[in-house]
Amino acid sequence: MIKKRKLQEAAIPTSSMADIAFLLLLFFLVATVIDVDTGLGLTLPEYVPPEERVEIKVDPQRLVAVLVNEQGDVLIDGEIVSIFQIKNLIKPKLLARVDMPLNKKIIVSLKTDRKTIYNQYISALDQIKLAFFEARDEVSLGRFGKRFKDLTSEQQEQMKDAVPIIISLAEPEEIK
Amino acid sequence: MHFQKRRAGTKQEIPTSSMPDIVFMLLLFFMVTTTLREVDVLVQFKLPEAQAIEKIENKRLISYLWVGKDKRIQINDSIVKLEEVEPIMYGKRQVLPNVIVSLRIDQGVDMGLVMDIQQALRKAYCLRVNYSATLKI
Repeated sequence: MIKKRKLQEAAIPTSSMADIAFLLLLFFLVATVIDVDTGLGLTLPEYVPPEERVEIKVDPQRLVAVLVNEQGDVLIDGEIVSIFQIKNLIKPKLLARVDMPLNKKIIVSLKTDRKTIYNQYISALDQIKLAFFEARDEVSLGRFGKRFKDLTSEQQEQMKDAVPIIISLAEPEEIK
Repeated sequence: MHFQKRRAGTKQEIPTSSMPDIVFMLLLFFMVTTTLREVDVLVQFKLPEAQAIEKIENKRLISYLWVGKDKRIQINDSIVKLEEVEPIMYGKRQVLPNVIVSLRIDQGVDMGLVMDIQQALRKAYCLRVNYSATLKI
């Protein structure tokens, strides 16, 4: 006798697959953090041991010394100003030297006290960088009619030569 | 007279059989592009705000250094002492010659400590730094 068996169709139900995949997708969407790193970039000077240090005379006309003390007062070239004035004081100096060769460009030197709050240092550095960026924007608007970020990379290089960002961190003094 | 309704012979259904494939593709895309946070941050910090901030283009080059409110320094997964910063960072630089150190420092820390860390970084030849800051609106 032949057993008649009703064959069931062997299939995995796939209708809920999409739901499962969506759940997984949602999990990854929620669990991952795309934190974009933003900040103020800076290149530190190379470390030179004190006995090997050579003093190079820099034309005082080129140098803008920014000092921030522990109260957050700022001294630029011997004048007491507030942090938010730094930008407007530096920018005209940068613009005045756009056409000069690299060894005549402005050097901004930033120096702080050991007791200065970090936030104030960042604000000062921010102002200095803003001055450079705005100077670049102004020069590029004058030359190409566009802002710096809209220029081609070739033109950007040209602008970087015109307004190079030279920020020097003063060598910290020995603790007495 | 009896009118027969004319119906289109085609099925009125959206084919859903390929939906899982599409979703899986999306899933794979997100899995590949996003990175899970690798380290636990052990220090408490609030970043300063700035306007002239830039994005760091190459995420692979970044190495983090945290300084918390309580002036503790964290590199990788552990709290380190100030004297240890230099050897650790020197090791990192040997692995990754053009490393960018992202300094995530609390806004209330005083500059003495920051200067000491900077000196350590200079001695370790990690010269590219980035002071992490959020956008001031």
